Amino acid sequence: MNGDEEYDYLFKVVLIGDSGVGKSNLLSRFTRNEFCLESKSTIGVEFATRTLQVEGRTIKAQIWDTAGQERYRAITSAYYRGALGALLVYDTTKPISFDNVARWLKELRDHADANIVIMLIGNKTDLKHLRAVATEDAHTYAEKEGLSFIETSALESINVDKAFQTTLAHIYHIISKKSLSSNHPSAPTSAIKEGSTITVHGSQPVSNNPCCTS
Amino acid sequence: MEKKRIDDHEPGPVPSPRALDRFGFVKQDVSASDSLVKNRSAFENERIREERRVRKWRKMIGVGGSDWKHYLRRKPHVVERRIRKGIPDCLRGLVWQLISGSRDLLLMNPGVYEQLVIYETSSSELDIIRDISRTFPSHVFFRQRHGPGQRSLYNVLKAYSVFDRNVGYVQGMGFLAGLLLLYMSEEDAFWLLVALLKGAVHAPMEGLYLAGLPLVQQYLSQFEQLVREHLPKLGEHFSQEMINPTMYASQWFITVFSYSFPFHLALRIWDVFLYEGVKIVFKVGLSLLKYCHDDLIKLPFEKLLHALKNFPEDAMDPDTILPLAYSIKISKRLEELTQEYEKKNGKVVQSEELSEKHKFHESKGTET
Repeated sequence: MNGDEEYDYLFKVVLIGDSGVGKSNLLSRFTRNEFCLESKSTIGVEFATRTLQVEGRTIKAQIWDTAGQERYRAITSAYYRGALGALLVYDTTKPISFDNVARWLKELRDHADANIVIMLIGNKTDLKHLRAVATEDAHTYAEKEGLSFIETSALESINVDKAFQTTLAHIYHIISKKSLSSNHPSAPTSAIKEGSTITVHGSQPVSNNPCCTS
Repeated sequence: MEKKRIDDHEPGPVPSPRALDRFGFVKQDVSASDSLVKNRSAFENERIREERRVRKWRKMIGVGGSDWKHYLRRKPHVVERRIRKGIPDCLRGLVWQLISGSRDLLLMNPGVYEQLVIYETSSSELDIIRDISRTFPSHVFFRQRHGPGQRSLYNVLKAYSVFDRNVGYVQGMGFLAGLLLLYMSEEDAFWLLVALLKGAVHAPMEGLYLAGLPLVQQYLSQFEQLVREHLPKLGEHFSQEMINPTMYASQWFITVFSYSFPFHLALRIWDVFLYEGVKIVFKVGLSLLKYCHDDLIKLPFEKLLHALKNFPEDAMDPDTILPLAYSIKISKRLEELTQEYEKKNGKVVQSEELSEKHKFHESKGTET
């Protein structure tokens, strides 16, 4: 992991969703282009970063991967604070994980910033013969809830980068629009150079640290 | 080892053979085996020393553990010293059951385990199944789908989730059960899990897994305070970089270092953990930070977090890190911090007391 490179923005993103839907492998595919068939269940929280270009800007994504089991929310929900994006993952072969999306949305509403960008992700499309959640159903649901939506396969590396990039671009658009509409010269969002500032909607600039302190 | 319980599931194909280390884990790299060859004479010396130790231990515990309690009462400090040097691997399973109090629970509750496994159903069954293949996936015993290892692991976890429905099954418990199953039968592993979570000898661990994970929160808060007191510069650096222990130490407590630490180190920690209790987890945690102090203190947030999850190989050597851990005295302070925490947050409630039937009384002196 290289933490030294320069970047224009640092965006904190959380990976949430039921246990076993493939959150950790989406993260390792995106940040290290790795997929582990023998992966262990995540205990607590894990962390990884990747820096990439979005519309000519260098954006560093700081991604927190959380344990999916309900009881772990006692620890993991603290990590929603200050997150600009959330990737809410379900497993296309497990209808229950899709049914639980509503509960995860409630979690975000309770603990995250109100204008967090949320992407709904149906993962494991490689298991075609086991599919149990129709793309159309998820699409309709996402539209109704105002979420972006994509289906991915971390195993086959399909749409993983796109899922993250779309989310980061979405966050970037919101923030750049904010900074344009702001007349205040010292508004936090105007400080975008040197990679020293993270911009959180309407809040104080913070250093390039995570935003959770609990 | 007793015969493993077999159910009707067809086992999956036996995974293709791959090089294993001496504990049965698939080897990650070739360099490790290279260094083994280079150190053949050291290896031979180690073997001779180990044989001498096993003879001493056998004398101490007697046939099947018959002399254990007697020896423990007479010479608790000899026992502590020997355990801290590591229990011989061939006696580990037996000694763990003796020092944890699980052997007595087993003897007092004949047939209970079988009842729990065969006749009861648990609402956690699907959660357990989902994690079975994700627990020690690189160990030869647990790799085969529906193989004996996976079935034993399932049975123990299901039995526990029925035994204590308030705890049920929580991720992380599988690593405890898995580690135990490498050294004892299902039923023995189950009772050792009961002894730990219900607190047969030491403070009950179940608060680590109850709703809200109250004991995890307590231990992490205490650990953070101990870091500030024992390693003030590093504690200050952590707060400046906004690093808190949930980011790196939750797993240490929830799985007692069995989740991601080298297995030979985890075993040595477990030897001491079962005899002396959770304070060894604090001590090992502090000693890792202390050992790497001068490096950690220079690192910015991301690299720091990475370093805290990937300690260097020399820090993971039990003969380096454990003596350092033993030298850190925290018992009294830990007790004070527990009282302070309970005053502020209320006592971590236990789901239910170990019922009279299961209760086991044993007093023994340890702690330095």
